[in-house]
Amino acid sequence: MTTQQHKNALQGPLGWGLLVVAMAVLLISLGYAFSQIIANGHTSFNTSSALPWGQPIATYVFFALGSSGLGLIASLPLVFGFKQYYPIAKRCVFLAFALLISGMIVLALELGHVFRMLWVIPANLQVQSAMFWMGAFYALDLLFLLWKFSKLQGGHWDSKTAKQVGIASFVGVLLASGNLALIFGMMSMRPFWFDPLMPVYFYVTGITTAVAILVLLTYLAYAFKQTRMPAPLQALLTGPLPKLFAACVGVTLLLIAVRAITGLYSNNPEINVVWTDYLFKSGVYIAALLIGLLLPFVILLSKLRNSMGIQVVAALLVTVAMFAERLYFVVGGQVVPLFKGTWIPDLISYTPSATEWSLTFIGFALCFVIYLLGEKFLNLGDMPSQMIDHTTPRKPIEATA
Amino acid sequence: MAKWGMVIDLDKCTGCQACTTACSMENNTLPGETWQDVLFYNAGEYPSGQMKWLPRPCMQCENPSCVHVCPTRATYKDPDAGGIVFVDWNKCIGCKYCMIACPYGVRFYADEKPLIEPDIRDVFPGENAQLWSPPYQSPDEDWRRGIGIQPKGVVSKCTFCYHKVKNAPEGTADLDEDNPDVKEYVPACVRTCAPKARYFGDLDNPESHVNQLIGDKHGVRLKDHTGNKPQVYYLGAGAGVPAFTPADRENDA
Ligand code: SF4
Ligand code: SF4
Repeated sequence: MTTQQHKNALQGPLGWGLLVVAMAVLLISLGYAFSQIIANGHTSFNTSSALPWGQPIATYVFFALGSSGLGLIASLPLVFGFKQYYPIAKRCVFLAFALLISGMIVLALELGHVFRMLWVIPANLQVQSAMFWMGAFYALDLLFLLWKFSKLQGGHWDSKTAKQVGIASFVGVLLASGNLALIFGMMSMRPFWFDPLMPVYFYVTGITTAVAILVLLTYLAYAFKQTRMPAPLQALLTGPLPKLFAACVGVTLLLIAVRAITGLYSNNPEINVVWTDYLFKSGVYIAALLIGLLLPFVILLSKLRNSMGIQVVAALLVTVAMFAERLYFVVGGQVVPLFKGTWIPDLISYTPSATEWSLTFIGFALCFVIYLLGEKFLNLGDMPSQMIDHTTPRKPIEATA
Repeated sequence: MAKWGMVIDLDKCTGCQACTTACSMENNTLPGETWQDVLFYNAGEYPSGQMKWLPRPCMQCENPSCVHVCPTRATYKDPDAGGIVFVDWNKCIGCKYCMIACPYGVRFYADEKPLIEPDIRDVFPGENAQLWSPPYQSPDEDWRRGIGIQPKGVVSKCTFCYHKVKNAPEGTADLDEDNPDVKEYVPACVRTCAPKARYFGDLDNPESHVNQLIGDKHGVRLKDHTGNKPQVYYLGAGAGVPAFTPADRENDA
C-alpha cells in the first residue's frame, strides 16, 4: 500500500479502534450467551415447543442470505463479466465468507447438540431433508468462497481456473440459498411459508441485504470520504451500484406486497391472520416496511442516490429492515397455534430473550471482526491491474446515471 | 407385523384428562410436555356456541412429515414396531425442524421455560443427562426409541407406549384393557380411559375391533388434507376442529 491517496482507512488507527470495540462486544456477548446456556440451557430462550424457531434462527437466515447475496453480486464481474463491479468483487467474496461463518456460529449455538451434528448428518445421509441439503450446499459454498478468495488474493482475476471456481461458487450459492428457502417454502402445514417461489424471494431479499451491507462497509473502509477511493470504485458507487440498490429494494417491496395481498385475500386464517393480527399489528414491522424499505426506495429513485450520505442512510435503514423482515418471517410462520388451542385462542406470543439477543450480537460482532481483519490484512479493495493505475491518476470515469 | 392404530370415540370422551395424566406418569414427562393432551375449544358463536374437546396424541402418521424433514434420521418410522414413529435420542441434534413439520403440534423440546412455577426441574435436578430426575422413574428406558426421561437438547413425543405394546404376543388383533391376557401391554392412555373412549389394535388385521369401528362408525383422521395419514382415527362428532379465530374476533362474521 504505497499510494496514500487511496488508503484504506481501516488499515490505520480507525481499524484498530473498531476492532477493539467489536472484539469487546463479541467477547461480552459470547460470555453472556455461554454463561446462560451452560447454566440454564435453552430455558434462557423464549422459544417453546409451540414456537420452536425464534430470533437465533432469523439471525442465521439473515446472515446466510446476506452471504448468498454477496456471492451473487461478486458473480456479476467474476462470472458474467460486468467489469464495473470489479472494485467490490474481492470485498464481496470476503464479506460473503464472514457473514456465512457468523451465521453458522449463531446456528450452532441454537442447536441442541451441535457437535453431534458433525457426525450424524454425514453418517445418516438423509437426502429427503431440505435441511440436509442446506447443510451440504452451504458447506460447499463456504469452500468455494475460500477457494475463490484465494484466487483473487493471488491476483488471478481472469484465469481459467478462477473463472471455473467462480461459476462453481455461483451455482453453489444458488443451491444453498435456494435450499434454505425450501426449508420454509416446502412446509405445506405452515401455509404462511408455503410457496414454491420462495427461493426467488430469498435470492432477491438476500441481494438487497447484501447491497446494503456492502455499501455501508465500503464507505466505512474509506472513512466515508469518496476522495480516498480509487476512481473505478467511485464510478461504481455513483453509477451502477446505487441503481442496483434501488432496483433490489423495489423488487423486495414488490414481493412483500404480493405476499401481503395474497395473504390478506386468503380466507385461510393461518395466512390471513398472520398478516392482519401479527405483522400489520406490529409497529416494528410497519416501520421496517415504510421507513426501512419504502423511504429508501423512494429516495434512491431520485438523482440523490449518487450522494454518499443518502446511500449510507439508506443502507443502514435497509439493513435493519431486512433483519426485522427475517425475524417476522420466521416467527410469522409459527404464530398461529396448530390447533385452536385450549380455552383462549390467541396467537402465540414471542419476544426474544436477552440470551437470544446476545446470539444476534455475537453474529454481528463476529462478522465485523472478521471483516475488519480482512480489510486490515487482505487488501479487500484490490481489483485487476488493468482497472487501476496507482501512479497516474485516471481521468474520472463519467457516472452513467 | 402389526400396524398399530388407535381409535378415539369423541362421543364417549368426557374430556377428563385421565389419559393425559396417565401418559405423563407412565413416561415421566414434564408439565407442558404433553405427549397426550386434551384440547378444549369453542365451536360456534353465542348464543349457540358449544364447548368441545379433543384428545390428541401423536398420530404415528403413515406418511410422517416429521420423518421426511429430519436431517439426521433421528426421527424414523419403524415398520417392525407396528409403524410407530420414534425419535432416536442418540442422533437428534435439536434442530427442531420436525416440530415445524408436524401438522399436529405433538413434539416437544422440553428444554424451555417451565409451564408452571416452581420449576420441577429445580426440585429434582437432572442427573445422567436427564432433563430432570424424579425419584420414581419408569424402569423402561430405550434412547434409540425416545423412551425414558428426555435428555437435554433433543425432541420427544408419544411412543404409543412401545415399551408395553412390544410385549404383546405376535398376531394380537386388539390390545383391550378388559382382556386380562393383554391388559399389561395396553398403552397407558387407553388403559386408563374410564368411559372407554379409546381403542388400540392392529390396523392391518381386518378382524380387529379397531378396524371394525373405523368401518362401521366412519372413522376420520384429523387434518387429513395434510396427507400425513394418521394411524389414529376419531369417531363421533367433533373431529372437525374449527379453523383458528383470534379470541377477540370470534363474534365477527
Ligand atoms: S403426528 Fe406429528 S410427530 Fe406424530 S408422526 Fe405425525 S407428523 Fe410425526
Ligand atoms: S430436532 Fe431431532 S428429531 Fe427433530 S428434525 Fe432435528 S434432529 Fe430430527
